[in-house]
Amino acid sequence: MDNDIEKMTFEQALSKLESIVKELEDEKIPLEDSIRKFETGVKLSSHCLAKLNEAEKKIEELTKNDDGNLSVKDLKLAD
Amino acid sequence: MLEKNPIEEVIKTGEEYTGGGIFPGKDSMHIYSVSELNLDIKKNLESSFSEVWVEGEVSNYYCHNNRHFYFDLKDESSKIRVVMFYESNKNLVFQIENGLHIIVSGYISLYEKRGEYQLVALSVRPVGKGELILAYEQLKARLDSMGYFDVNAKKKLPLLPGSIGVVTSTGGAVIKDMITVLSKRFENFHLIVKNVNVGGPTSQEEVCQAIDDLCSYGVDVIIIARGGGSIEDMWAFNTEIVADKVFKCSIPVISAIGHETDFTICDFVADVRAATPSVAAQVVILDKREITDRINKIVSVLKKHVENRLLYCQKQLESVTSRKVFKKPASLLLERWQELESNRKSLLSATAVNTEMKKSQLASIISYIDAGRIKGRLKLHDSNIAKLRYILFSDFNKHIEELKNRMSLLVKDLQSNSPVVVLEKGYAFLFKKDTRKAVKSIGDIETGQEAEIILFDGILFAKILDKINKKF
Repeated sequence: MDNDIEKMTFEQALSKLESIVKELEDEKIPLEDSIRKFETGVKLSSHCLAKLNEAEKKIEELTKNDDGNLSVKDLKLAD
Repeated sequence: MLEKNPIEEVIKTGEEYTGGGIFPGKDSMHIYSVSELNLDIKKNLESSFSEVWVEGEVSNYYCHNNRHFYFDLKDESSKIRVVMFYESNKNLVFQIENGLHIIVSGYISLYEKRGEYQLVALSVRPVGKGELILAYEQLKARLDSMGYFDVNAKKKLPLLPGSIGVVTSTGGAVIKDMITVLSKRFENFHLIVKNVNVGGPTSQEEVCQAIDDLCSYGVDVIIIARGGGSIEDMWAFNTEIVADKVFKCSIPVISAIGHETDFTICDFVADVRAATPSVAAQVVILDKREITDRINKIVSVLKKHVENRLLYCQKQLESVTSRKVFKKPASLLLERWQELESNRKSLLSATAVNTEMKKSQLASIISYIDAGRIKGRLKLHDSNIAKLRYILFSDFNKHIEELKNRMSLLVKDLQSNSPVVVLEKGYAFLFKKDTRKAVKSIGDIETGQEAEIILFDGILFAKILDKINKKF
């Protein structure tokens, strides 16, 4: 399960997290299950928050050389 | 004499014909070949109508080999053939179609092969509206009918794109505005910009190439952006090649062309239309603070749920453990034992009472079976029997007496009617000896047969000698 969460996209993790909240609203589920779900939820939320901070700020320009190969360099903007 | 045909004569002799008629004199006469004449007319027509503007409605339009256009231009009472060669029509932005009201500029030419004149169109413009507006409307209607704007074909934008591709001019304010908005919403965004001319004649090809390049390089979403301008400025985004590229792009595309009031074909085809490039920067990625708050809120809701659940379960557990069975289990056993004991006792006593009761019932039955009482009852029965016997016997004797009397009467009666009495009077009975049947008629016995004659004092054996038939 932990492995699965690691592989999840942000969207997948967030939607799973939201579905867990809905499931926990159902008071009929056994206590053990609700605790397990809570633990999963906490892991999912950490995964989501990690995803948010995963990317590094980059502003790049895509260029193509004469051979048609694509590469990026930092974008320089005129003031 | 036959009159000579003057024309034949002239042709034959080459002499001058002076006899009048429709033909002019030899000096002024010139006879054309057909080609010559057509060529002459062509020269005249092309010099006289070398530049004309003519307005009319298109009909019978067709495009030959995807290159040259042919159609009629007509008004209420007349029409003219028009040809527009590829060289002239290749840059036409709108499409010629039947019923379209246009002004054609060009020259009149003659197609010598058939001797037909036609208008060679060099340029065409619609009447009533600009050609770009017309072209826009035509393309929009066509793409719409082809499903390019279908809501079901729209791709969903990723919530958190790892990298955002932008097709725009890096020279303008557009990219700066977008970066400003992005920085406020999500400081660690990753932008990959492909610089293109967003106006001018090469714009549409550049935009298409940029989309391809971003797709091959790999981004999660593409924004196509340019600032406001005239319809001519933004024309690249109203072309079919850009529309087609956006529609077929495998990555979600946000179109942000011009101001809020500008709607380009690209906007309609894109998966999301943003009113302006700044709006596109808002739409493309979620607000980090907002989403962080939301996730934290979700976690606290989760915690609350589980806490409440635990609290509830704890209370339930308490209410169970506070019961006597858990607190004083021995007392519960004692209680049970006592209960058992009392049950045993009451069971025993109930059995004893029951036995006593049955005993006394038996005694009372025995006491009821009293010998004296039984004897009395027997005596009573005896006397009843004697009575019945008396009644029975006295009735019986009477009955016998009656029967005796009736008997003697019957005997007397019988005696008086007895055959013996008849015999005593001297009569006899005759029987057939073999059958012992009474012979009442002479037919009952045959001659020679033996018979018995019964008299009052004995029997005579006789043989029938003869018969005489005689009635007495």
